[in-house]
Amino acid sequence: MASPIKRAKGLSDRAIAWLFVGPSIFLLLAVNIFPLIWTINLSFTNFKANRNRDVEYIGLRNYERILTDSDTWLTMQATAHFLFWTIFFQVLIGFALAYLINKKFKGNDLWTTIIVLPMMLSPAVVGNFWTFLYQPQIGLFNYMITFFTGGDPSSFSMIGEVALAPWAIVIVDTWMWTPFVMLICLAGLRSIPDSIYEAAECDRASKWRQFWTITIPMVLPFLMLAVLFRGIENFKMFDLVVQLTGGGPGSTTEVTSINLKREAFEKWRTGYASAYAVILFVTVFGLASIYVKALNKVKDR
Amino acid sequence: MAEVILSNVSKRFGADVALENVSMKIPDGSFVVLLGPTGAGKTTTLRMISGLDHPDTGDITIGGQSAKGQTPAERNVAMVFQQYSLYPHLTVRQNLEFPLKSPLLRTSKVDMERKVAEVAGTLQISHKLGNKATELSGGEMQRVSIGRALVRDPAIFLMDEPLSSLDAKLRSDLRIELKSIQANANATLLYVTHDQIEAMTMATHVGVLDHGRLVQFGSPREIYENPVSIYSASRLGQPRINILPADVFAGAPNGASSIGLRPEQIHQGEGEESLVQRVEHLGDQTRLHLSFKDHDIITVSDAHTPLKSGDIVRIRPQNPFYFDASGARIL
Repeated sequence: MASPIKRAKGLSDRAIAWLFVGPSIFLLLAVNIFPLIWTINLSFTNFKANRNRDVEYIGLRNYERILTDSDTWLTMQATAHFLFWTIFFQVLIGFALAYLINKKFKGNDLWTTIIVLPMMLSPAVVGNFWTFLYQPQIGLFNYMITFFTGGDPSSFSMIGEVALAPWAIVIVDTWMWTPFVMLICLAGLRSIPDSIYEAAECDRASKWRQFWTITIPMVLPFLMLAVLFRGIENFKMFDLVVQLTGGGPGSTTEVTSINLKREAFEKWRTGYASAYAVILFVTVFGLASIYVKALNKVKDR
Repeated sequence: MAEVILSNVSKRFGADVALENVSMKIPDGSFVVLLGPTGAGKTTTLRMISGLDHPDTGDITIGGQSAKGQTPAERNVAMVFQQYSLYPHLTVRQNLEFPLKSPLLRTSKVDMERKVAEVAGTLQISHKLGNKATELSGGEMQRVSIGRALVRDPAIFLMDEPLSSLDAKLRSDLRIELKSIQANANATLLYVTHDQIEAMTMATHVGVLDHGRLVQFGSPREIYENPVSIYSASRLGQPRINILPADVFAGAPNGASSIGLRPEQIHQGEGEESLVQRVEHLGDQTRLHLSFKDHDIITVSDAHTPLKSGDIVRIRPQNPFYFDASGARIL
């Protein structure tokens, strides 16, 4: 039932729709869907991208080797440590900062801008700068710590010691991304109208009770969203850690994405790395789906 | 329940005067209605008493005790907000339980359930107890908001237009319910409204506010029959009082510039001629829109009046109000 005007132009509504959507669908297929399917395909082979030899299908062997390899579990542990503590500190400090900024004291806008600055820097630059700050001899970080605790600044190295290196990357990521969590929490806090606190005040709820029965439940969906973003980001953390520790010392800070990159582009075990990538993808996707379900439940509550 | 006294309370927000020297005694067990247009200071008065705002000067005593520096919790007031202010993440039941869960009250679980069921029944929201507060219509939210106040036994109930978004039937039901709750519990209640029927039917006292000043305080009958000014007289009465220049009828006293005529102060059938412009049959009564010497007059006639538009009817003032140039009543 195309109208005469449309027929005159020779294109139906549907054709025009395809014309507009087509290029993006093509791009999506070419750069997202095709590589994904190709990766899954490669993960069942012994393909090596730097050798020109016949590709053999070896079934689930790659998966078997990855999942039974104790090194895989070490990198997973490093990632889990990084993930847990960065989120823990970022939520704690981010919420506390948002709570204070929301008190609307004089100059709170200026403070918000200052606090948000680290987030705007490039992770590579941040990683580079912090290697200087962590320098045992000349680094500001060691100097500050020993200023309060006493002792020799060059007696320890944040990125050179097995016990400290995992914390070194946690500190930098927290420094950089706490502002992000703060901004989202601030949005949550600002969404609570004053009149609700006034009603609670008249209902004889103490400040403490108001905090736990009004502030926290109403900010929780925002907070969970921030955790989701940070969780996904930090699961695939690469640039910052590469700049800071390069995965070392040894492989104490070798998070999964660094491990994966080494397998794929240093050892050139393309088939193996593809299987690894599929495993990581399924893990993130699965965890995120479960998390989003929980998030929706909180929102509906 | 307690007596609440405001003495010389003033409040400014920047350059705006919200309240100026308001003194008012709200007796224990009374139902006081504040009348006045938007911006007259009605809500500010409630907020002063609740402790959400503090007066610049003057004092408020609740139950004989000065409330200076006290928080709303310490004052033990229950407030119904105009914008409802329900807790959006809680169910209706949890909203109603919220004030009872205050550690200051120590309500037992059984008492809490009984009280909530009772209040929900009164307000006709029993079937909504499991709903989230955001899944309600405006009228339902407003009733939950009233319920959240009624579950308690505070020193004073403060209600800011609590029936404004209900439909006519529910409004008249709840008018009767609120009045009987207040009368049975001998509760003290301060109530803000635009609706003069609410003022006339529920109030034991009416306070008329004009730009932050309390211009008249008394029983609704007193305000109706003995207003101190044109402003006061226009607050009550349906249809509104007719204000005309004093000289359109003979017999005005010296200094009178306006004459005020309520429908019952217009005697029909004798006096001067006026033209019937329009006749409104309301069922129980009929409203006449009259044109008299280029002035419009609205009055009430018999339900089965034979008058129709274009007819001539004779009218004469009967014990009218006279006001001077400033609007004050001349006695």
